[in-house]
Amino acid sequence: MATKRRTTILVVLGLAAAILVAIWKPTVLIYGVQQAGLYAAIAIPMGLVLGIVHIVNLAHGEFMMIAAYATYFACRATGMDPLIAVLPAAAVTAAFGWVVYKLTIRRALKAPELNQLILTFGLGIMFSQLVNLFFTSQTRKISLDYVSASVTIGETSFGVWQFVFVAVAAAMAYGLKLFLTRTTLGKAALAVGQNPKGAAIVGIDVDRTYGIVFAIAAALVGGMGALFLTRSAIFPAVGSPFTMKSFSLVAMAGIGNIPGILGSAILLGIAESLLRAFRATRGWADIVFFVLIIAVILGRTLKWRKS
Amino acid sequence: MNRNLLRALAFAAGALAVSLPAFAGAYPLQVARNVIMYMALALTWDMLLRSGQISFGIAGLFGLGAYATALGVLRAGMGDWLSLAFAPVFAGAAALLIGFLILRLRAMYFSIVTLALAEIFRIVIHNLHDFTGGPEGVVLDGVMLGGSAAALYWLTLGGLAVALGASWWFEKSKFHFALTAIRNNETAARSSGVDIFRWLLATFVITSAIQGLLGGIYVQSYGFATPDSVFDANFTLLPLAIALLGGIHSTIGPVFGAILLGLSSEWLKLRLPYGHLVVYGVIIVVVILFMPQGLYGLARKGLRRAEGRAE
Repeated sequence: MATKRRTTILVVLGLAAAILVAIWKPTVLIYGVQQAGLYAAIAIPMGLVLGIVHIVNLAHGEFMMIAAYATYFACRATGMDPLIAVLPAAAVTAAFGWVVYKLTIRRALKAPELNQLILTFGLGIMFSQLVNLFFTSQTRKISLDYVSASVTIGETSFGVWQFVFVAVAAAMAYGLKLFLTRTTLGKAALAVGQNPKGAAIVGIDVDRTYGIVFAIAAALVGGMGALFLTRSAIFPAVGSPFTMKSFSLVAMAGIGNIPGILGSAILLGIAESLLRAFRATRGWADIVFFVLIIAVILGRTLKWRKS
Repeated sequence: MNRNLLRALAFAAGALAVSLPAFAGAYPLQVARNVIMYMALALTWDMLLRSGQISFGIAGLFGLGAYATALGVLRAGMGDWLSLAFAPVFAGAAALLIGFLILRLRAMYFSIVTLALAEIFRIVIHNLHDFTGGPEGVVLDGVMLGGSAAALYWLTLGGLAVALGASWWFEKSKFHFALTAIRNNETAARSSGVDIFRWLLATFVITSAIQGLLGGIYVQSYGFATPDSVFDANFTLLPLAIALLGGIHSTIGPVFGAILLGLSSEWLKLRLPYGHLVVYGVIIVVVILFMPQGLYGLARKGLRRAEGRAE
């Protein structure tokens, strides 16, 4: 009950803030929501892995970066549009994620939690440096016409393409909810996430489930990599900021709460875009996530101590 | 094992390190300075790790120390040596404040918060344009000690001596027992009368102060600081890989790890203009998966087996 009441309060506060911002500076709200969609769509797969495999994947952003590079070269070679490449990129990254899981993560599952953290940290460095090694740190971009589509309402005009990220994030959250509650595999994954030993006793292959969940998360973030390519230039370090931002969102929503990621992303996206709107505060926009993550973690520990 | 032999070896290595400028040219000396810097950072990271806490914030405290020295000279008119002394004091004080808040966190929460703090320091320094020079950073009037390569090498070596001394003291004093007890089982440690929070705070402040001192030495020996150069993620990544490869929870592990990795990465840097850091990622992954005790752990195991056979 307590959590429900808290969520309601948060939602009401968020809505009130959003309406205020919308009246005062509509573009801040619009870009904030678009940015939030991007953050949420990248954070949701991380939330899935953290909720079920119980691993903080510090190489999360690098998976997206690798998918974006693969898409870039495929598109360059064939003249294909990155949008068409979303599904193939997802499939390839899923296979890649599965292999990474089998070769590395699986071996560290029994080790202390901190070993897993260092392991994925090392994997992230390895991925970004491998890309750096083969393709140098040069930025790469595919220019597309439809990305700059804009709409003018009254006196404000804004780009609309990035609303696609909001749609993708919402679809991901809803799709995962259906997957976890309606399909056998999803139910099994949920059970493994709650209690791996108990799940193993009732006959669920825990290792296989972990592998599949990891692959699904890789697929989602891989598809996002292809989609990301429509929006931004890419370079080897493009993914790593998203790892921290995703973790902030997941930690704020609470582990295992996937729709919550959407909510916290909107709050932070708007806060960031608000800071970015003024010249004096523009440089501080990046700090929002880091302050938040520390506040949330400290707040949670204080609460644990009380109870 | 033979204690006297070990002591003689350590003494010879020390003598070699001190007398290096007598016969090494400018380039080897520069490489040696890098190796020493990362060796010292790896030692401080390992010292905190002995209590079971993984910090991803080395670069943050290193950068704080660097800016404390640079701004001490430029804004407060400190002399070179005073500014060097100010760096560990500032970083240590910052660590004391932060430690009160975050040392109640455990495991991944502690690690992630240290990572976030390092980013916050960088962003704050980046944005206080008038005071810190913003993204362009600050430039000192000159390099310390007249820019003599040998003197700067000895200065860096002095930083390493502080780290080595602290690490050795940690191994020989009550710190060793307290930190090991905390790492193994906090409940058992607490019931044996170990004041966990105070030991962790002391360790965090000491290691952070040394990291700050090294940052100060870095600034004084290159004459400038920018947010991107002193808060570089490499100052977190390399010490981590070095300590893991050499062998954690020991003084000797990071020392050998730094020599091995420092020289090999220097060699790689000449061959691969981009991405030579990949070797650090590979080493972290391989060590965690196949030899979590590092090379020192492997060597110890091998020695024990050899001794067992001899008996």
